[in-house]
Amino acid sequence: MRRVRDVMGMPVTADLRDERPDAAAALDALYAELERIDAAYSPFRGDSLVSRVNAGALDLARADGELADVVALCRRYEAATDGYFSAWRGARFDPSGLVKGWAIDRACRILDARGFARYFVDAAGDVRTRGERAPGEPWRIGIRHPVERDKVARVVLAYDLAVATSGTYEKGAHIDDPHTGRPATELLSLTVVGPDIVVADVYATAAFAMGRRALDFIAARDGYEAYAIDPDLRATWTSAFEAYCEPVTA
Amino acid sequence: MSALAATVAGVALLVGYKPTPAGSASPSPTPPPRIAVSDDDAPVGAPAPARTPAPTSAPVAVAQSGGTKTVTGKTVDTIFGQVQVRVTIQGKRIVDVQPLQLPFDRARSAYISQVAGPMLRSEAIQAQSANIDVISGATYTSMAYGQSLQSALQNN
Repeated sequence: MRRVRDVMGMPVTADLRDERPDAAAALDALYAELERIDAAYSPFRGDSLVSRVNAGALDLARADGELADVVALCRRYEAATDGYFSAWRGARFDPSGLVKGWAIDRACRILDARGFARYFVDAAGDVRTRGERAPGEPWRIGIRHPVERDKVARVVLAYDLAVATSGTYEKGAHIDDPHTGRPATELLSLTVVGPDIVVADVYATAAFAMGRRALDFIAARDGYEAYAIDPDLRATWTSAFEAYCEPVTA
Repeated sequence: MSALAATVAGVALLVGYKPTPAGSASPSPTPPPRIAVSDDDAPVGAPAPARTPAPTSAPVAVAQSGGTKTVTGKTVDTIFGQVQVRVTIQGKRIVDVQPLQLPFDRARSAYISQVAGPMLRSEAIQAQSANIDVISGATYTSMAYGQSLQSALQNN
């Protein structure tokens, strides 16, 4: 059972391959959770926690519960990425870059808790897979070719895996280097694979902003691999990335 | 991840999986890829008309000549502007997807449209022929693209 909803300002697809009568109810719960997360953390909603923080009505230093967890995660990954990922622009708090992956993770946990073992959740091109697409078959995740029609750049074969891609080819050069305040333009796209969607998503965003140093950064992270495409349409990848991929046939 | 100091194991030109399919309504020496428009097992990256809600407005402009039909999808709004596609169908096969409208409303959209036109087009076709479950990459305007494509197919 597959469902697509526009939530958190992006298309989110959940595809359950376990054939169970409670699949629809699980999807209801999944999207309800994403709606709840959007209501709490969207910078575009005036009544969200994030908007209240930026309006001065809520003090982050006194945040508790889930918001405190989110803030702690933002600080952790800001430190882990040398500041290339940051939820702060000056005094303004915007955790969207973390919340996207975190929301995917929350959605997957809902499915896990209900015993689903074959599914993926895709939020605007960032994907978490679990189990098999069909008996004996891994999920097949195409890495979008940034220019060529009728092509994907590579196919990632996945069982339990997170795949996150940051790119400029569709949304414009939308990722700024927080150290210069200017858009990162050295890569067209950067795909990060690994066990955790929060980490993969944050790393993809942060390392993309690093430009050509992205692969060095990812290569130094245990469990994560990366595949970059530069404006000359050359692909570069970390050493073990190939192990996740379908072989290229000419 | 190995502890190798050299982190970049491979550098290669991007290699496509297939020669560019002849995506044309006119007779072609190379048959276009077979795409089952109504296949229930269509991969997720592909439009799946049977499983998705109908668009809120009907598509327009069905043109037919011989066994070839072109269907124009509805216009879909995105944060960057409007997206609309036209699909050419022979029998049950999609043989071409042509973007009619892509966003131009902002300075950066000039770049998006320049690059994303052919890229968006590849999504609709390659996603099916490459048997992909899902695509990793930015999808804001491609969602609208897919919606326009679906509306065209549903009214085929």
